[in-house]
Amino acid sequence: MDAPLPRVDVDPAEPLMRADGLAKAFNGHTALADVSFSVRAGEVVAVLGPSGAGKTTLFRCLAGLAPPDAGSVRVGGQDIARAAGRDRWRLARDVAVVFQQFNLVGRLTALDNVLAGRLGHVPAWRGWSHRFDRADRLLALECLDRVGLLAKAGQRADTLSGGQQQRVAIARALAQRPRLIVADEPVASLDPATAAGVLDLLRDIARDAQGNDGGVGVVCSLHQVDLARAAADRIIGLAGGRVMADLPASLFDAAAAARLYGN
Amino acid sequence: MTSGAEQALRRMEAADRGFTARRLRLWVICAALLAFYAISWRLAGIDLHKLAVGLPKLGRWLATAWPPDLHELPLFALRTAETVAMAAIGTTLAVLLALPMAILASRPLTPWPRLYHPARWFLNTLRGIDSFVFALLFVAAVGLGPFAGVLGIALHTWGSAAKQFADHLESANLGPLEAVRTTGAGRLTAILYALVPDVAPVMLSTALFWWEFNVRASTVLGVVGAGGIGQELKNSMDLLDFPRLVTIIAVILVVVTALDQFSGWLRRRLA
Repeated sequence: MDAPLPRVDVDPAEPLMRADGLAKAFNGHTALADVSFSVRAGEVVAVLGPSGAGKTTLFRCLAGLAPPDAGSVRVGGQDIARAAGRDRWRLARDVAVVFQQFNLVGRLTALDNVLAGRLGHVPAWRGWSHRFDRADRLLALECLDRVGLLAKAGQRADTLSGGQQQRVAIARALAQRPRLIVADEPVASLDPATAAGVLDLLRDIARDAQGNDGGVGVVCSLHQVDLARAAADRIIGLAGGRVMADLPASLFDAAAAARLYGN
Repeated sequence: MTSGAEQALRRMEAADRGFTARRLRLWVICAALLAFYAISWRLAGIDLHKLAVGLPKLGRWLATAWPPDLHELPLFALRTAETVAMAAIGTTLAVLLALPMAILASRPLTPWPRLYHPARWFLNTLRGIDSFVFALLFVAAVGLGPFAGVLGIALHTWGSAAKQFADHLESANLGPLEAVRTTGAGRLTAILYALVPDVAPVMLSTALFWWEFNVRASTVLGVVGAGGIGQELKNSMDLLDFPRLVTIIAVILVVVTALDQFSGWLRRRLA
């Protein structure tokens, strides 16, 4: 019933996601101005920048939660903001979102939360009645296993720790079988050790999905330079709504950070 | 040299002395409150003399009410069951109607923002008219009996419960809903999957509250001929049959208390 959709074969050199000339303003205040960058399959791109740099606005545009005033976000060649009907729905499945506040349904179990990632793939009545077929439940459990929380499958989400909740949220994103994972400040609510673990997980997901499923790209915003340098392949520096730097992580040194944060 | 803090204190003390605008406002408010109560006292027809004369009469009635008349207890039990059933059916009907209206009347969830205000007005109108008044209308329309009471309860509770449901939905954490929407799930699917589990306990608790409330409210619906124990209450009062009246009041008290306890226990379990 859920026949695998034909995936556009991605040329490894061709970016998975391309943001082009993104601009957005709120009440005359510029949040984003001409932001362009791309994410390749298997790549982790970190977006750094001071508070108010436009990171959250950028991520809402990338996630399709807010349309940009100008420019486009293309995933597999299709514009997220302008897609309609079936294309829009397919893009929603292809782009998984991880939130700073995890956004799990507190009263549902970890497994039920991960199964929410299948809602875009199954008929609506299955969601309404919480009746998923065996393959979907198996996939969800595999995703929980992937984030190291198989043992917590039956536990209510609101009884898990912050780090565990974010891992369940990542498992939910994986259950979508996405091509791109968009994570807005995924570790800002976590302690440093837990944060590093969650970022390692995101990096491993990007790496090990490479080749077998067309490859997953990860784009995440962070506010700690050292975490970004450890986890990301490439770092985008955003300030005042503009891209100030777009460098391989190894080249994003103290001087680059100082320029970005303006000191 | 005086410090800045001391100067500020002196300014405050100076401002507190004498006839200030603030003090004037206080007096005006007090006078207005006094006038309000004086007028209300007249309008409400408060007459302590009548109370002094009436109380002994009430006492004599109470004395004649003993011993309570238990002959018709089976009838009273049946009528009380009728009251509880009216409240149960009316409340359930109201809750079922309230759920879709609550989505229409909650700003972040409504699929048609244009209908938000009309939906709220409609619910406020239902809420503003008491089930007693609705019951009066329905007794005229569908005739005497509990069915008129059920309709009265259903309409008033529809408005009240839907407004409370909408408020619960508006104050719920919408993060999980947004997250589930981004997985590609439809709006209704996302609401059912991400929002309903979180708000279901408080919604159920609200529904139980209205059932409990409606059992109490519908004991008097019989007075307008809308069935239940209220009918017997009114008959006894009309005949000044106090032993019978006392029995009825006792039955109502027992049932209402038992249901309050039960519903309270259930609501604590849900919390």
